Amino acid sequence: MVSCPVCYESHSQGDFYSLSTHFLKMAKKSDYSHVSWLNRNIVKYRVSEEDLEKRLERFYSLDGKGLKRWIIDDFVKIFRGDNPHPFILAMQKYDVNLLKGYVIEHHHFLKQWIKSCAYVIAKSDYDEIHDYELENIITEMQGVGKNEPSHHELLIQMGISLGLTRDEILNAKPLPATKKAVDLWNRIGRDRTWIETMVAMHSLELIANRDLGRYGAKYPYFDPEILKSDKVTSQVKAFLKEGYEADVSHSYVALDLIEKYGKEEEMEDIQSAYLVSSRAFSDYLDARMERGEMYKNKQ
Amino acid sequence: MQEWKGVRCIKTNNEKGCALCDATWGEYYRDIEGERTFFCCNICADIFESMVNNVKKRTGWGFIDYINLEGNYNRGRECEARSGDKIYRYYFRTYGDGRMMKFEDR
Repeated sequence: MVSCPVCYESHSQGDFYSLSTHFLKMAKKSDYSHVSWLNRNIVKYRVSEEDLEKRLERFYSLDGKGLKRWIIDDFVKIFRGDNPHPFILAMQKYDVNLLKGYVIEHHHFLKQWIKSCAYVIAKSDYDEIHDYELENIITEMQGVGKNEPSHHELLIQMGISLGLTRDEILNAKPLPATKKAVDLWNRIGRDRTWIETMVAMHSLELIANRDLGRYGAKYPYFDPEILKSDKVTSQVKAFLKEGYEADVSHSYVALDLIEKYGKEEEMEDIQSAYLVSSRAFSDYLDARMERGEMYKNKQ
Repeated sequence: MQEWKGVRCIKTNNEKGCALCDATWGEYYRDIEGERTFFCCNICADIFESMVNNVKKRTGWGFIDYINLEGNYNRGRECEARSGDKIYRYYFRTYGDGRMMKFEDR
């Protein structure tokens, strides 16, 4: 099935005419979410049903480059290309309030992350997939002894070094955009296949991948000079460094597995899961900024 | 003034469609400063209305003749508003739901 990248409404496999009709219906209602998706991804100016059908088909076409490359190209364009996500622009300088916002909202992301990994494990039968997701859960939330704290613990330590308390981080309610995104990721895990869940979550790891320059990324996840600055706490450095210094190939492993196990007839489902997830992720990154602004305005 | 679908709108450099983003999708109208203005969606209308209110509040102008907007949702928009021979330059960016995130003089 090909699903609407905005509202996830399902259409028959390869039925881009039906998807086009759906978009035109929603555009006629001036529905913000559908109109803005068309504006940013397909075309700003009204086109006919047939024209839109062709454009949507072209957008989804893997065009001989494969699923992994299709996802990377789209992700780079949306988040780290010439017109990057504003969170990426904001991360090009050290901003304590922004990082505080990052900590508060990311706690909720990581809680959902391990649930999504668990859904993948529960719904798949491949040892390779189980091993990959188990390792992920341990790295993100459990850690290995005192010498290898989890990503979640590093996040909390970063927050504390910036003036937050552990209780504040663990008890803060997510902002609406974070809540909406987390709910979507949970629904995908609960209602969709393991491979859709896997792509919905692990494609998002591309945000911190420092190898994306060769795919057209124009901005790093953050300014690497931050890691050398005396003004920056060691806990901030430790948190950011973990992602930065990780083997760059790591971010691609999930996409390789998805490409390996994804069947031809599942491609549109996988692409749709990626698209709805990355859209939610964009709103979630906005929430990190909004939380940062809230801390800034408190001063 | 420009016209869209036969109705008068406040003039911006977006001549084809939505007063904020120029998209021609949608069929949403809202009265802005007493004039029926075309937008592609209610969020663009909210943003435009809020932007106009901000400009009037900061400048004290009674009316705005023309607004030039350059940019997009991700980058925010660098703008130049004119009222008679007066000019005011500013930048703004919003959250996904249209609330103002940043509004700065330029």
